[in-house]
Amino acid sequence: MAAKSEVYVLGGYQTDFARNWTKENKHFSALMREGVLGALERCEIAPEEVESAHVGNFAAELYCMQGHLGAFFTEVDPKFSGLPTSRHEAACASGSIALLAASAEIEAGRYDLQAVVGIEQMKTVSAAQGGSYLGTAAWYDQEAKGVEFPFPKLFGRLGDEYDRRYGLKDEHLAEISRINYDNAKLNANAQTRTWYMNKQHALCRTEDNPAVGGRIRISDCSQVTDGAVCVFLASRAYAEKWARGRGVELANVPRIKGWGHNTARLRFDDKIAESRDQQYVLPHVRSTITSAWKRAGIADVNGVDGIETHDCFTTSEYMAIDHFGITAPGESWKAVEAGWLAIDGKHPINPSGGLIGAGHPVGATGVRQLLDATLQVTGQAGAYQVEGAKTFQTLNIGGSGTTSVSFIVAV
Amino acid sequence: MSSAPAQIRKLATGRRLEHVVVLGANGTMGYGGAALFTQAIPRVTFLARTREKAQEGLAAATKQVRSETVANRADVGSYEELDAKLASADLIFEALTEDFALKQQMFDRVEKSRRADSIVATVTSGLSINELAEGRSESFRRHFLGLHLFNPPNVIVGTELIAGRDTDPALVDFIEAFASVRLGREIVRTHDTPAFAGNRVGFKLLNEVAQLAEQIGPVLADRLVGPYTGRALTPLATIDLVGWDIHRAIVDNVYEKTHDEAHASLRLPGYMAKAMQRGVLGNKSGGGFFKRDGKTQLALDPASGDYRPVLELKLPKLDYIERVAALHAVGRYREGLAAFLAAEGPEAEIARRVIAGYVSYAFHRAGEVTDTITGIDMIMASGFNWAPPSALVDLMGAAAAAQMIERAGLSLPALLRDAAKSARTQRFFRHPQLNVGKFFVAS
Repeated sequence: MAAKSEVYVLGGYQTDFARNWTKENKHFSALMREGVLGALERCEIAPEEVESAHVGNFAAELYCMQGHLGAFFTEVDPKFSGLPTSRHEAACASGSIALLAASAEIEAGRYDLQAVVGIEQMKTVSAAQGGSYLGTAAWYDQEAKGVEFPFPKLFGRLGDEYDRRYGLKDEHLAEISRINYDNAKLNANAQTRTWYMNKQHALCRTEDNPAVGGRIRISDCSQVTDGAVCVFLASRAYAEKWARGRGVELANVPRIKGWGHNTARLRFDDKIAESRDQQYVLPHVRSTITSAWKRAGIADVNGVDGIETHDCFTTSEYMAIDHFGITAPGESWKAVEAGWLAIDGKHPINPSGGLIGAGHPVGATGVRQLLDATLQVTGQAGAYQVEGAKTFQTLNIGGSGTTSVSFIVAV
Repeated sequence: MSSAPAQIRKLATGRRLEHVVVLGANGTMGYGGAALFTQAIPRVTFLARTREKAQEGLAAATKQVRSETVANRADVGSYEELDAKLASADLIFEALTEDFALKQQMFDRVEKSRRADSIVATVTSGLSINELAEGRSESFRRHFLGLHLFNPPNVIVGTELIAGRDTDPALVDFIEAFASVRLGREIVRTHDTPAFAGNRVGFKLLNEVAQLAEQIGPVLADRLVGPYTGRALTPLATIDLVGWDIHRAIVDNVYEKTHDEAHASLRLPGYMAKAMQRGVLGNKSGGGFFKRDGKTQLALDPASGDYRPVLELKLPKLDYIERVAALHAVGRYREGLAAFLAAEGPEAEIARRVIAGYVSYAFHRAGEVTDTITGIDMIMASGFNWAPPSALVDLMGAAAAAQMIERAGLSLPALLRDAAKSARTQRFFRHPQLNVGKFFVAS
């Protein structure tokens, strides 16, 4: 078998996650268009160079009454007409699944340049309606039907499970929220960059910060977001040509060095039952992280300079901290207290602000994480740049810890 | 500021900022600024003429950001306690009424009781920073600067930073870093010119539309310079929101102190002055150009001062706006603006004249109110939520934009003349992250 081609990330573009495209009277196709055109321009790629496109999206059929999203890619530029395109869905991990499919095609030598678009328009419906749609990322009939805001409740239970096994304090969750909001203030595309937040507010237990599911308060939640992100993945051959044209060394073009991908059982109770006697609360998530390290030839978390993780709720970031091995299982609070998660800390997590601060357009999040990782390792992350970052890892989770995907991007 | 991000983050923590005293904390900018500070500064003192007024400011701040935790970091007092409160202040944020003499009197008192290393910032939107600092001690002048927030500051991040002649440059760098990193501000440095950059360029357009309303009525004027031209809120609705008295203060100030090529467009329309005598101040007085009577939307008739139901007004057919909006709706902004430029009829011509005036005025001010056009672009984008002038030029193409300006009978700025002649396509707006599309609302 011929050696697999390496997969390079040439860069990309993110729309401003604070935008409300419904208020702008814009159609879904405008969101796709801005994301893709922005990436073409940023990466200085001509439309005719693109060979294939993968679209990650969770639920446009529900939010926008629109399916067949791969075909919308061809609407962006007349030169895209006829391109092979497809759409991928795995709840909040949809974007990463699209990336996996695109990178596999490059490894297989089918194409040299692929566009990957993550996209979701969510502000088309009320919060309650949207919450119910999100419930389809769980086992809807059994876990979400008739439940108001099912996901905060499921991730509230993740916190409860931590509490039961190891103990969990609200102040540590509040600090995680505070860090994400503070980082978001440095990110011109973050949804919450103007929102009022500090640790005191995150700890506030009144109607200014109401509970939405067990221990989960509003300040513990990621956001309802409209957004599109587009990145370009390329083979070594294309990346060489592209780098030459820009006077850049190939070694300075980021590469996907490793990936991990696992799918656990759908229902939260089943996952917890499976891990009952194990150290890690979500062992399949741990496996996703470690298999990415293994493929990248990295021993542990000290081999990465920063992480963009899936903080759909503060409890999911709390889980990620020990699953990444930043602390021993159950001791994530130590990293929170020690200040390791700050941009200038020992293990920066979510310098972009993450899903809590930057926003969470469901199908776009995995692609946004990969783009942020790419910006970090090329020194282009602006005010939220981790100094000297060369290797960054992502963790994107669909459902209640069900589908997990991780990428390691490095120069 | 061109330092690396890590250095900027470090710079933001480079000075002690643990106590801020807000003067005029019951006013909109006072309590708005104070609320903002409570996010990042451990102690925020709300001062006003009376303790009760300061308490009202605290209540308004709490309501604005919807967090009762504001009170945990706040204390209140009257100016009688000024000396004691200022003794520990690292930052003194002055937000009194826009009255030069009043501010001077306050600064006399501040001079006496401030610590020599305390920063004094004024939120003035129109008074000269150098004139306010004139005759004061060296320590005061070195530590004095303008920090012009836009209302409401918890929503609008654009902020103008104005250094005086004697302001310590290191202090200006620190405030820029702190306000960006800790307060989420989009800082634009402007020169100490009347109304600085944002209000100079922005209120010129607003006032021009108010003048236009006298000829064609407020409904049509607002429709012609509406969202499809690159803004979320229409111009006259903006004046109603800002308040007519504030509008008058700003345009009168600019009209008096500047004599540029668009001087006449800064003159407050007579009908507005008359209506203000009757107490019309915009939304805060129950109505301005527009108001509601139950479910009926009413619009002002500038000639008579009466209000008429909007639905009874006969407007010309504006098909071209629908065509432009339909293109914006699918993200085809370039094509949308091309349709705007090509649209026939007197209405489209009026609209193009206003937009041409906006672009031309902004480019003429580059170098005068900010170092380059980018400063004006950024404050129009982040302070007004309007399409930046450069972005309009880029989307239209420099030659088409230049033609629009010349056809409107306006003077063509040299930058645009050169770009229009050049064979190479020149890009004026190059902010790496700002989405230009967001300004072109499809209506």
